[in-house]
Amino acid sequence: MKDENIGRKIIFVLIALFVIITAVVFVSRWRGREGKRPGTVREVPGEIRTVTLFFGNSKADGLVSETRDITSEGGFENEVKQVIEALLEGSEEGGHVSAIPRGTRIERVFRVEDKKTVYLDFNRALISNHPGGSAGEYYTIKMILKTVGVNFPQVSMVQLLVGGYPVDTIAGHYKVDSPLSVREWR
Amino acid sequence: MNSKTGSGSCRYSFFTGKNILRGVFLLAALLAAVNVCLSTGALGKEDEGKTLGVVFADGRRTEDIILSKVESESEELYISAYDLARIFKATKYWKPGRKRLVVRIGAEKYIFTLDTRVVTADDKSLLLRMPVRYRGGFVMIPLEFIRDHLAKSRTGRIEFDEKRFVLTIGAPSYNVKGLTFEESDEGTRAVLTLKDELLYHVDNETPGLLRLKIYGGRLNTLKISATEGKGLFKRVRAEQTEYDAYLFFEVQQSARRFRVEFLGPAGGDSEDRKLVIFLEKGELPEIPDADFAGKRMVEILREKTAEQINVEVERVVIDPGHGGDDAGRVSDSGIEEKLVNLEISRMLKRMLIDRLGIEVVLTRRTDKIVPLDRRGEIANVEKGDLFISIHCNGWFTEEAGGFETFFLSPARNYEESHQAEQENSSIRFEESDLDSEKLEELDFILWDMVQNEFINESSEFAEIIQKSLGERLNIRNRGVRQAGLRVLRGIKMPAVLVEIAFLSNPEEEKLLMDDKFRRVVCEGIVEAVRDFSADGLGGETE
Repeated sequence: MKDENIGRKIIFVLIALFVIITAVVFVSRWRGREGKRPGTVREVPGEIRTVTLFFGNSKADGLVSETRDITSEGGFENEVKQVIEALLEGSEEGGHVSAIPRGTRIERVFRVEDKKTVYLDFNRALISNHPGGSAGEYYTIKMILKTVGVNFPQVSMVQLLVGGYPVDTIAGHYKVDSPLSVREWR
Repeated sequence: MNSKTGSGSCRYSFFTGKNILRGVFLLAALLAAVNVCLSTGALGKEDEGKTLGVVFADGRRTEDIILSKVESESEELYISAYDLARIFKATKYWKPGRKRLVVRIGAEKYIFTLDTRVVTADDKSLLLRMPVRYRGGFVMIPLEFIRDHLAKSRTGRIEFDEKRFVLTIGAPSYNVKGLTFEESDEGTRAVLTLKDELLYHVDNETPGLLRLKIYGGRLNTLKISATEGKGLFKRVRAEQTEYDAYLFFEVQQSARRFRVEFLGPAGGDSEDRKLVIFLEKGELPEIPDADFAGKRMVEILREKTAEQINVEVERVVIDPGHGGDDAGRVSDSGIEEKLVNLEISRMLKRMLIDRLGIEVVLTRRTDKIVPLDRRGEIANVEKGDLFISIHCNGWFTEEAGGFETFFLSPARNYEESHQAEQENSSIRFEESDLDSEKLEELDFILWDMVQNEFINESSEFAEIIQKSLGERLNIRNRGVRQAGLRVLRGIKMPAVLVEIAFLSNPEEEKLLMDDKFRRVVCEGIVEAVRDFSADGLGGETE
């Protein structure tokens, strides 16, 4: 009888253990599925944003894209600045060509009353290091405008500045002294 | 009693030390089995697969979509219909009774049936390698539907990058909306609905084929190509490139003439603009005309032909690009674009005078800087009939090469310009002392609009030059393109910019320094001027 009691206790403990473990496994699996089940986008911490950057192709007749993660904080201007900085760092893939001259830095990004126009202030290298050629200049402008336009649809015009001031042209083919339309350069 | 005892003894025997051990093993095995089942998904639940990065060109945030392996014997990944619909902004309808899911992506409708591999797409059927399944409350669609069907039928708008496992979804922003054919007694009309005011070029060099190029055109190639031909139009095929849209119309033997008309309001965002290609029926020409019969099956009949193409060319303005401090592109070996441009321009000048007997003006004769606006002013003051800017191209790597001809994009958006113009003119009336900055802006807008008037001729001339160079040069033909090149703005005559070759490409750099190559280029341009000119100009073709 004593044996029977011990046996009962053991079996009871085992059954309880089984129930608990099974329940834990199920709950954890179910929770995991909640997060990963198809149809649910993976929870991304609010401050990480994946953006699309555009570069030229090797034949200079089209754009190619790459993605990067940026921290989405510090407001609109900061996000734009980070995207441009990522663009200036260049491509990470073979066959993609950055049409932005070496040594180009973005100094400031700002908007004035007209929230649809964003001002991008670069250092002199944008002009002084530009190798020239109309294809080169076209894609320098297009890479910047397309990247801004796609990642920030609220922007409709972009004013390029060099050393804080508008310049006539980057390499002698396109006028950039007034804001450029994202739509025209898409 | 017996049975009771039996069961009692059985229970008793079950609780012997041996049996307890056995029980523990049994339970442990059971637990292990449950865990294995759960982790492998053998209980019918989908396995965790891979994540697919989705990038949206319309500004939506990039997402990671979890894909699942649904079939144990296959590696094929599945996407839930929920995600599919969401990323493509599609509408979906679920018909449980018939086990059917209808998904509308843009204008196309796809019908999926559970446990089958057939997908009905509008009027045709697609066959998938794996069947559509229902798992865990979701209709699961094999990824191959996106990879092999959507991405291929929607090139340019959906891009599937296998290597990075990223799907890029472009925002469809078509400005060539649709195509219809209308038949009448006289012939057949192809009517294209355009959203923007777009420039076009038609050629009929290939027998039985009309090629329509729409500059800056964006169209749904699949939809347009699926339009069934009618009357004199046998078939149509559409193509989309980075910059332009092309339509290839196969026409019937009995088509004799065509006429292209642009209908609808100028400027603004109207949906009422139509580009009409009217194909006229006609008799075969009485006199057998070798050129007509062989080369040209249909004859161009444009209403504005007289004004459009018959430009009397008496004076050509050549603009050697860059100069002075602005060297343009400098090759790795130190060759400066400004000098190559000047030398080729001088050669072209001599050849135009010698062969066509026309006057030629250069915007710069020496290595000096001439501001971009000044070049146009020179051309306007000299009252040229044609403006040709000569340039060499450059890229950041050596690979790019070829020649291309540009003409100007129409000045800004008409509405923008018009609005600014009105605002400025009101300022003009209101303020007695004129704000010079505002006036300058007004001038700028008007200046921009000047070339608009000549844009048809400019595009025509650009096509002729490109064709002529294409027949002579063995480097890549990059085609005719439209761009907002500053030097072409404000010019009161047909104006183009020729990029002869790439100074950044070592092979082409050599060619650019070669006198023979330069002569061939100049000959190509001279012949283009002759072709473009109304009277064919004097002198014999060499």
